[in-house]
Amino acid sequence: MVTKSEEEQLNRLEAQVDNAGGGAWEYLCLVRKLKVRRPDKVLKHGLAILNDSKKRSALGTEEWTLCEQVAVAAMDCQSLDVAKDCIKVLRKRFPDSKRVGRLEGMLLEAKGLWAEAEKAYSSFLEDNPFDQVIHKRRVALAKAQGNITTAIECLNKYLDTFMADHDAWRELAEIYVSLQMYKQAAFCYEELILSQPTNPLHHLAYADVLYTIGGLENLQAAKKYYASTINLTGGKNRRALFGVCLCTSAIGQLSKGRNKEDKDSPELQSLAVAALEKDYKQRAPGKLPLLTSALKSLRVSS
Amino acid sequence: MGSGELRYEIAQNAYIKLVLHALKHKAAAVNGVLLGRLSDRGDAVEVLDAVPLFHSHLGLLPNLEISLLLIEEYYGSKGMSIVGYFHANERYDDTELGGIARNIGDHIFRYFPQAAVLLLDNKKLEALSNGKDRSPVMQLYTRDSSKNWKLVSSDGSNRLITKEPTANVVLLDYMTSEKWQNVVDFDDHLDDISKDWLNPDLFK
Repeated sequence: MVTKSEEEQLNRLEAQVDNAGGGAWEYLCLVRKLKVRRPDKVLKHGLAILNDSKKRSALGTEEWTLCEQVAVAAMDCQSLDVAKDCIKVLRKRFPDSKRVGRLEGMLLEAKGLWAEAEKAYSSFLEDNPFDQVIHKRRVALAKAQGNITTAIECLNKYLDTFMADHDAWRELAEIYVSLQMYKQAAFCYEELILSQPTNPLHHLAYADVLYTIGGLENLQAAKKYYASTINLTGGKNRRALFGVCLCTSAIGQLSKGRNKEDKDSPELQSLAVAALEKDYKQRAPGKLPLLTSALKSLRVSS
Repeated sequence: MGSGELRYEIAQNAYIKLVLHALKHKAAAVNGVLLGRLSDRGDAVEVLDAVPLFHSHLGLLPNLEISLLLIEEYYGSKGMSIVGYFHANERYDDTELGGIARNIGDHIFRYFPQAAVLLLDNKKLEALSNGKDRSPVMQLYTRDSSKNWKLVSSDGSNRLITKEPTANVVLLDYMTSEKWQNVVDFDDHLDDISKDWLNPDLFK
């Protein structure tokens, strides 16, 4: 997960390198640090450095890290020959390396040789059953073949042991959402909120899932989590602001005819509306009238 | 009137926008809505525009509801309504119309009974550079009498066509120039509202 300013910095660097303004190495380091997926750029600029013997030797031992990064990017872009060459070079330099072995496994995956990849990963895990990366590659392998149930099983088993792996919880939640298994997704987000209670994105995702499941209790809970997202982000998260409006409207619809004491104070709703309108006025004034009439249609007539 | 022999005619810009959106997010599933209206003679659905929606968490309701609200508000004033849904699966060889696409399709069908669901055809998209095919790189699904979304076979009658026959040529051109970088979807808009989901300058 990347912050807005990190993404802006990355995009700036990327534009600079694309326009031959230099900074390729910093760009590649930043991509590695932020763990973002920009395979075509990494391949292009990384290969340019590797193919230039002067630039390459200037890297010193970082040359191998770059080789690995380019290999993965090449596989992502299906440039399998490039990947093969990089891995060969790495294998020569590090003949007993498990890290290179992982890359070789990934290459099997990229070629679609699922059974061979599975065999490779299984044998790795025999030697080292706690290799987290290999465990996760097995999940990726299942997912790539479309065996989503297997992927879920593997991921659940992985999380039994490595329950502090937030990325894995998020991946599992996203898989559940894509299968419309919302209650299971909710459980994942609950785990994430427990372990990272100040991360607003977990609150937001949880609220979204609760809203999707529906029902009065879930809508009321969703509203609370949208509110906590707004709290944690200083009111800047638009999705949460919209979420509050949607919840209030839906709760109002559901409580029509029920006793009016269930309706909580309308202040949160009006504050959210005001915040959204202010934001649009400042940054997207052309869309403001659209927003206002859309929000009006959401306000349940009390 | 059901969608028995209805034709679906998609404007070039709408078509290209949706494909470029899918190309921008190659590793994810993406979706979008189709805007347009029934033709005057009632024999075709004219898809005049499209809005790319999301590239993450497609199965969650809140953002979908907000986007549809704003989209209906805007296009309603232009005499268009939501006439269909576009979906591109995450994986290359996944050719199934999944649950999320069907559910959203069902919702749109309730308001527009001639609604269509379009699924990106990855193999056709890949073969585009052979330059021979004029048919859209999408599969057409319509609701049958048993309330299921059924694939409309593309052999024989062409029930899904692009309005401009050169659409694929233009699309290929944009793909070469990596135009997909400039596509803005609703996810992008929610992250930064100064980004316009109407993509007014995309084809300028």
